[in-house]
Amino acid sequence: MSHDVSPIDALAAHAEQRNDRRAFFKAAVGAAAVGAGAFLVSNPAQAQTLTDADILNFALNLEYLEANFYYYAVYGRGIPEASITGVGTPVAATGGTLRVFDDRLLGEMAREIAEDELAHVNFLRKALGSAAVAQPAIDLSVSPTSAFSRAAQAATLVPADTAFDPYASDLNFLYGAFLFEDVGVTAYKGASGLLSSKTYIDAAAGILAAEAYHASMIRTTIDQLGGNAGLKASTIRGDTELVSTARDSLDGASDLDQGIAYVTSGAGPTSNIVPTDANGIAFGRTTGQVLNIVYLNKAQVTSGGFFPAGVNGTIRSSANNA
Amino acid sequence: MIDRETLLEVFDIAERRRAERRRFLRMAGTAVAATAGASLLAACDDDDDKYAPPATPTPTPAPGAGLPAGDVDILNFALNLEYLEANYYSFAAFGSGLNATLQTGTGQQGAVTGGAKVGFATDAVAAYAREIAADENQHVLFLRQQLGSAAVAQPAINIDGGANGAFTAAARSAGVVGPTGTFNPYENEENWLLGGMLLSDVGVTAYKGSASLISSKVILDAAAGILAVEAYHSGLLRTLLYRKGLTMPLLRPNAGRISDSRDVIDNPVESDEGIGPVTINGGAASNIVQADGDGIVFGRSAGDVLNVAYLNAGAATSGGFFPAGVNGTIKASTAG
Repeated sequence: MSHDVSPIDALAAHAEQRNDRRAFFKAAVGAAAVGAGAFLVSNPAQAQTLTDADILNFALNLEYLEANFYYYAVYGRGIPEASITGVGTPVAATGGTLRVFDDRLLGEMAREIAEDELAHVNFLRKALGSAAVAQPAIDLSVSPTSAFSRAAQAATLVPADTAFDPYASDLNFLYGAFLFEDVGVTAYKGASGLLSSKTYIDAAAGILAAEAYHASMIRTTIDQLGGNAGLKASTIRGDTELVSTARDSLDGASDLDQGIAYVTSGAGPTSNIVPTDANGIAFGRTTGQVLNIVYLNKAQVTSGGFFPAGVNGTIRSSANNA
Repeated sequence: MIDRETLLEVFDIAERRRAERRRFLRMAGTAVAATAGASLLAACDDDDDKYAPPATPTPTPAPGAGLPAGDVDILNFALNLEYLEANYYSFAAFGSGLNATLQTGTGQQGAVTGGAKVGFATDAVAAYAREIAADENQHVLFLRQQLGSAAVAQPAINIDGGANGAFTAAARSAGVVGPTGTFNPYENEENWLLGGMLLSDVGVTAYKGSASLISSKVILDAAAGILAVEAYHSGLLRTLLYRKGLTMPLLRPNAGRISDSRDVIDNPVESDEGIGPVTINGGAASNIVQADGDGIVFGRSAGDVLNVAYLNAGAATSGGFFPAGVNGTIKASTAG
């Protein structure tokens, strides 16, 4: 190694500069982002009137979706009826089926996650008391026009007008879970700055962490299969980028999503289990952006995709990214 | 010099990750647009600016932007933990620690004892190690930027894999090795996973525990994002331990022993959890997530975090992984 450190110094300085510049840009847009970035709804007037209950109910809708997805896979049915009542008319989730996992460990992880997600549902319902919203209609079905199929078609995992069944194989199940989990993380991450009550901030931080654990379990398990052929891309890792890109195309211009494709650096191949920004920080989404994804619509709408009749509660409109 | 190269490697990875991703997205975006029949994305082909430099999702104040004093204390506390994690993972992945320029600050700057490059048996685990190392280095950088001149220096850190190392002390007290045994987390990838689990699980609980104590909404948003990343790391390590445990029967029990010893040392409340398997509704389930009955990941107070980091169940201001204590105002572990 040369004793002349100046080139390395220069490079290091450049790297730091690049980082400083990044920080500067962040600070520059930060003023806008603070107002618009942290789980705020797209409509500023509405943001003024949001209560913690509104936000927790929004989260409850997402938990209903996740809990039912996993519950069907593990138990062949939706979550218990006692856990879906509330303001509005409860509707049982439809279309899911039992998955007999080929990989025993994946089955054990699905069982763990199913239990966590139901616990989240029940916790939020308990916290909200009589203000808890009922479970809205949830589409977990597998016809060619179902939410899962349309999401998979958009990601080009399957051809147009073709069914995608997340319960048909271990891999399909992982893709289905992958579709949801990172969204849950970004939703709670966005929520953290919006809640007023310290108690709820504390609880939401703990749910955020649980969702990140789940996402990591799914992404790691996919990665362990990663070199194998995907449904569309030449590898499974490539497929996750397609799903990620499809999500990203719905939620607006910001790049808030990453698959698990490896990158190669001087130090060697590097995985991407954790989707992060330049600071090693996980992404957040606004409520509107989250709804863009679960409604499978980049326009400002109040229903669609996995929630055919929309979510319940005051936060129900996706952002206008059309 | 080695340090500088490590820093460059870290930046290299982070930059390439983003650049690669952008390239991939452009290609994938083209492919998606080509299948315009997909009704969902039919309207996408007009937003060519989609991959232009986006507004950042993480609001960031200018350094030294007058953070509340309490937030400075919390961020500095977190910075100490990030120093520890960044060094552990950087040594394992690259064979060298945190860059010297990132160790300066207020308080007593200290050196790192130990640390070594791991000879990973599988390419995937080596790739995970590089990823985690890059993330942890970014966390150090980020926190230092937020704190500006208020950032604490890296304290003395013991991540030695020898008989006098903090890992060995932790492993002895956990029963992972016998009372005179040595635990070297750099010896093989399974040991590295256990050592990583020991540290990363604590990182999760530390950020979770401090979330509701942060005043600044901007800092809270960033801290929530770091919390999530730490949970991803912890989930990654625990998932691998669980999977490897299928064929390496000691791994799951050893993960449980580490958990048990953390639980004994931090406070009288039982909250720390091993990786399973456990029984749920009559079936076997993993226990990757350290969640309570509400599915909520538990948090630790700063004092309880320091109990684990100092490997001391009592009130102390140094020990274990921080032989001279952490820097900053939050430095004492709690009795009981």
